[in-house]
Amino acid sequence: MRMDKTQRGWALVSLAILAISAVVYALYASESPHGPRGGSTIGFAFGIIGFAFVIFAALLGARKRVPTWRVGRAQAWMRGHLWLGFLALPMIFFHGGFHFGGTLTCVLMWLLIITVFSGVFGAVLQHYVPRVMTSDVPLETIYDEIGNVRSLLREEADRAYESLCGSLGLSNSSNREVQRAGGFTALRTIAASAVPLRTSAAVSAGASAAVAAAPEIILLSEEANAPLSRFYLDEMRPFLERPKQRGQRLANTDKARTVFSGLRTLLPAAAHVTLADLEDICDEARQLTRQQRLHRWLHGWLLLHIPLSLALILLGAIHAVMALRY
Amino acid sequence: MARTRTTKKLAQRIDLNYFKRPTPLKRAKFWLSLLLPLLALVWIAERTIFKDSRVYSSGRLSEPHAVLEKECAVCHVQQAGAFSAKAADSACLDCHDGPSHHASQTPTPACATCHTEHRGRVNIAAASDQACAECHADLKASGNSARFASHIRSFEDGHPEFAALRSVADIHASDPGTIKLNHAIHMKPIRRSPNGPNVQLECGNCHRATSVDADLTYADPKYRAAAVSYSESDETLLARADTLGLPKPVSGRELMAPVKFANACAACHLLTFDKRFDEGVPHDKPEVIHAFLVRAFREYVAAHPAEVRVQRDPSRYLTGKALTPAVRILTPAQWVTERTAEAEDLLWRKTCKQCHALTPFTKASHRKIELPVTEGLDTGRLSGMPAELPEIAPANTTLKWMPHAKFDHGSHGGFTCVSCHAKALTSTDAGDILLPGIATCQTCHAPGPEHAESRCFECHTYHDWSRRKEVTPKFTLPTLRTSGR
Repeated sequence: MRMDKTQRGWALVSLAILAISAVVYALYASESPHGPRGGSTIGFAFGIIGFAFVIFAALLGARKRVPTWRVGRAQAWMRGHLWLGFLALPMIFFHGGFHFGGTLTCVLMWLLIITVFSGVFGAVLQHYVPRVMTSDVPLETIYDEIGNVRSLLREEADRAYESLCGSLGLSNSSNREVQRAGGFTALRTIAASAVPLRTSAAVSAGASAAVAAAPEIILLSEEANAPLSRFYLDEMRPFLERPKQRGQRLANTDKARTVFSGLRTLLPAAAHVTLADLEDICDEARQLTRQQRLHRWLHGWLLLHIPLSLALILLGAIHAVMALRY
Repeated sequence: MARTRTTKKLAQRIDLNYFKRPTPLKRAKFWLSLLLPLLALVWIAERTIFKDSRVYSSGRLSEPHAVLEKECAVCHVQQAGAFSAKAADSACLDCHDGPSHHASQTPTPACATCHTEHRGRVNIAAASDQACAECHADLKASGNSARFASHIRSFEDGHPEFAALRSVADIHASDPGTIKLNHAIHMKPIRRSPNGPNVQLECGNCHRATSVDADLTYADPKYRAAAVSYSESDETLLARADTLGLPKPVSGRELMAPVKFANACAACHLLTFDKRFDEGVPHDKPEVIHAFLVRAFREYVAAHPAEVRVQRDPSRYLTGKALTPAVRILTPAQWVTERTAEAEDLLWRKTCKQCHALTPFTKASHRKIELPVTEGLDTGRLSGMPAELPEIAPANTTLKWMPHAKFDHGSHGGFTCVSCHAKALTSTDAGDILLPGIATCQTCHAPGPEHAESRCFECHTYHDWSRRKEVTPKFTLPTLRTSGR
């Protein structure tokens, strides 16, 4: 969610709540003979409000799980999660009088601090990373499908290579059936050897040749294709298989461009179209790697935020019950 | 032909059920979301199984109660059938039966109002100023007028000048003590005894805390060893009935001991009474002195029978006084009577009177001592004349100037006496109260990190510990250390 002008309403209301609470707390703290305490009436009220904010923020998860619930727009829930979740921190600080107290309350305080700040960190990432994603990864795909798309790219590259240099001799056929977008079931991958050309069958199957034009078969002589073979087998294919491996020239845009420029000087003009396809495939693979990295930033903080918030709610409830007892 | 991308073609690469497959990120999120709350639950369960309720404590206990850290139930007493187990006053009173400081006080606050636990290793006795100000900021008197200032919020805000120094109806407060002491003279170089060298006295030569050995620089061993017939009550004012008892035993360094003649004065102030004797009279009641004088002169005349021939000493006769014959022959008894009268005249009119307030004794009574020896006297009657002797007013030395506050000289031992008792340098009147004023205390005792404690409890105590009741012990060491929590 972007932090733009649309947040102004929530921001102003939150600021007003914070300001009023701060004034109430200041008055209450200065009047309390032994300083503010969670067990006093006002301290208790702050505790209830703070915990209610935490609960509300946590309900966003439930709201997401059941999107059909007619309980307000998802955007409003998200904004409420963001602002009220943030307000929970000062409210709980006011509740405890800025003391961390005993073991359980100390654990709760730290859980709350980490949860809130991981949330703030996440909100900042959610504000900036999508913009970076849009500019850096124009070929963005669904994150969960990156692995599949990458293998399809590899197969597509194999076929492009084979159209110039002949068969690679790899058996990469797969008979796994998956349901593809478009509402039909098809073979996920098509072995290059089995379908060397982009056929209607392959296209309708919507497999690896989804974006590839049918390559023309212009087999080069062994001598002519030697630089390409060397490059493909030693550099490009390992890059497509293991794009995150360090020290690869193709992982860097500028170096990759230099490499392909060099190859163009070594290969006949007839091979340049296929070479451009290979360069395009490398670029897409690089973008997928970048997307993966950005995606981890964008969602990785949730690994901390969600489990901690669940623990916080559980322990918070226990604290509430036991505090009422003692 | 170059690669082309259309939405349709791109969509065909996507598995429609991709969202059903768990990705590592989703899987990690799920397991962590399960594991962390579970871990929290296991932790709480484990504490519950081991009956350790400390985990729910809102903070560490104060130092005196630290031993009860595991013993929640000692204070948090659960009423039968109730879920709540709040700390009740009865639990506090089980160990500390501290009565409130005014029997007529209403309302009496609950213990926890002033002494809040679970705030770490703090001094739990240190009640906040606000707790005191609950009543003292707007004190309601039960009678017609309040005996105390009724708008005190803190030491800095509303606290009046110390009662001992306050003027009442424009009459300056004065020391009720009767010992005439000119502090200013004693703080300057002064002659030690009539023929002694000049000395510079230190405050500590005379003033020492009660538990500290007296400084004997100006002491006289004979007087120190001598038994006296007067008692402590003749020297000091009794503590006021409404003086609050202290919670802890005194160390003896809090207050200054009354200055003793034998320890601090005797070396300079010789109680000589006759040139025939080197020793002075005892520092005691007039009756004792009189008996001493009679005995001393009797013994002397017995040893020196020629002394009964008395020659008139012109230097001892003032104008207007009847002259005695130039030479007189007295009986020993007459001689003793006459010498005793002379010595007492010196003592009552000068030596003793220099420091003590003596009740006026009439000329008539004095004349009885000065009966003409030539007319013959009943020596037995003369030797026992206490009825005609003056009375020395009780010293009335005030030991505790602030009956409602505690002060510890021992804690202030690093400061020179005159840095607080500056008036001692200039005071010439024994009626001056040399107690430093509140402003002097506020120099150091003020709020803030660079100042000494200034909250009410530093000087005042709420509970009247002199009325404390003994409590029945209920803990045993093994139980306390090992029982359920």
